[in-house]
Amino acid sequence: MITSSEKQLPPGTVLRGKWNGKRYRLERLLGLGANGQVYLASNGSRTCAVKIGKETEDLQAEANVLASLDQRERRRPPFLLDVDDAELQGRRFPFYAMQYVPGSPVKTYLRQHGAQWFGVIGYRLLERLAELHEAGWVFGDVKSDNVLVSDYGRVALVDYGGATGIGRGVRQFTEIYDRGYWAAGSRTADPAYDVFAVAVLWIHALDGKRLLQLTRTLLPQNRHPRELVELVRTNPTLQPMESWLDRALYGRFQHAREAGEYWRALVHAAAHPKTAREGQVPGWMAGLLAASVLLCGTAAVIWFLH
Amino acid sequence: MNQILLITDGGSNVGESPVIAAAQAYAEGITVNVAGVVDDGSVGEQGAVEIAEIARAGGGMSRIVSTRLLSQTVQMMTRQTVQGTIRQAVNQELRQLLGVESVAELPPAKRAEVVRVMEDLSENSPLRVALLIDASGSMKPKLAAVEEAIRDLGLSLQARKGESAVAVFHFPGELSNEACMLDLDWTDAPSRLGAIFAKLRMKGTTPTGPALLRVVEFFRETCGKINTEPQQPTTLIKRDDNGGVRSDYVV
Ligand SMILES: Nc1ncnc2c1ncn2[C@@H]1O[C@H](COP(=O)(O)OP(=O)(O)OP(=O)(O)O)[C@@H](O)[C@H]1O
Ligand SMILES: [Mg+2]
Repeated sequence: MITSSEKQLPPGTVLRGKWNGKRYRLERLLGLGANGQVYLASNGSRTCAVKIGKETEDLQAEANVLASLDQRERRRPPFLLDVDDAELQGRRFPFYAMQYVPGSPVKTYLRQHGAQWFGVIGYRLLERLAELHEAGWVFGDVKSDNVLVSDYGRVALVDYGGATGIGRGVRQFTEIYDRGYWAAGSRTADPAYDVFAVAVLWIHALDGKRLLQLTRTLLPQNRHPRELVELVRTNPTLQPMESWLDRALYGRFQHAREAGEYWRALVHAAAHPKTAREGQVPGWMAGLLAASVLLCGTAAVIWFLH
Repeated sequence: MNQILLITDGGSNVGESPVIAAAQAYAEGITVNVAGVVDDGSVGEQGAVEIAEIARAGGGMSRIVSTRLLSQTVQMMTRQTVQGTIRQAVNQELRQLLGVESVAELPPAKRAEVVRVMEDLSENSPLRVALLIDASGSMKPKLAAVEEAIRDLGLSLQARKGESAVAVFHFPGELSNEACMLDLDWTDAPSRLGAIFAKLRMKGTTPTGPALLRVVEFFRETCGKINTEPQQPTTLIKRDDNGGVRSDYVV
């Protein structure tokens, strides 16, 4: 139907759902991908995001994942708002509407706010993945573009095109984040698959140049997690998390929860100068410490007020 | 589901038309995909046309890619062809049962159910992919990438729930009258083919059509059965280690 190279719909375009009758006014393009285009849209006074797909089946498969997650996690408002078709200039476009997720891709966020945020973001990301795993899904396509970070390191995932039922073949992935590409394991969806990709995400976000350089120069038969660990070892920002990254890259976390707990422990250990190695606090950890002191302060104030 | 994936870098020059051969394959229920690999320069206009035509006749798709993108492309074409085959079959059912042209005409709630079924079928149906590798002289510098693409495809197939297997052929064969030669019989765990590829004697002719037809026959003969006899796939897989017991299946 439409391809990303095909032209975008101008702001102000109105989609009218053929089956459910809802109207969406497209405000601006949020992103383009292999499977479609995503627009910021308004439905009456409500703001949402609308993904217009190329293939009905692909789009519906994504909507199915979102619907099943909404089913599972009833305590929060639903993410998927509508699934429908619209007709524009005599052509039919399948689309779905979802919550608008404010924020920017992890890499952009760290560039703007500083690498010291990666401790918090990393923890939140693992928690989010753990929820997904507990609902029976593996996210599959963990990468910077699909992890949106908003104020104070809040994390949301977008693009469920790679989401795969645990035990099946991962539906969609990005080569350099893929465990199979690095000869570090299978392409079968299990929690450790996502945790591996999270490790690569941090290397990509904080040492992108050397990572890409490595993928260009390394012969396929030499791809191995040890190559990634080597990058970590020689990068001052990543180094404090070396033991976590090592375990993630070698598939030694069974669950994202477990990975999250360990991540948390490292973040805290590094924030306490006494327990930190050689009593030295790396810059980003110090930042985190300041933040947590601030948080404790706030907590104390709230406690007093009560 | 049966697929042939032809990996080549140019035009055929011997024997019957590869386009007709691909059409025959498709008629027998085998989809033909083509990856044209080029690094510097191009396949030439004629080569490009032939590649596209073979795929069209074979009910599949074609891509012209650099060696760097070969693994990704092979993986993607295989997956999309599986989905395409399932979608076609399901849509046909829908036509017969409900009189609608395709799943896209169903209301979203029904659509959700049908797509779920499609996904289950895509994941679980048995799949056979025969790779047919052009081993003419110009392909030599690209064989490492081809080998990697095969390993990578194996990884994706192993991750499926359904039974999957690949077989590998190269063409032309070693003898003057062989269109192609079997390198690896049906296996669910292809590993490095370095040992095979290292020994290839690259020749000038490119009998794409006859080679395709030979692979079609191979599907018929083996019914896609994975060989489990002691000396078969396992020894083939470990071939690199013991330096070359070759299954001398010459076609
Ligand atoms: N709910 C949302 N809220 C805000 N932005 C979004 C939302 N969904 C998607 N986006 C933006 O649109 C971009 C493209 O969307 P998405 O990744 O779903 O498309 P895709 O075609 O599946 O892409 P890909 O090629 O990565 O598979 C995202 O990277 C993100 O920046
Ligand atoms: Mg995306």
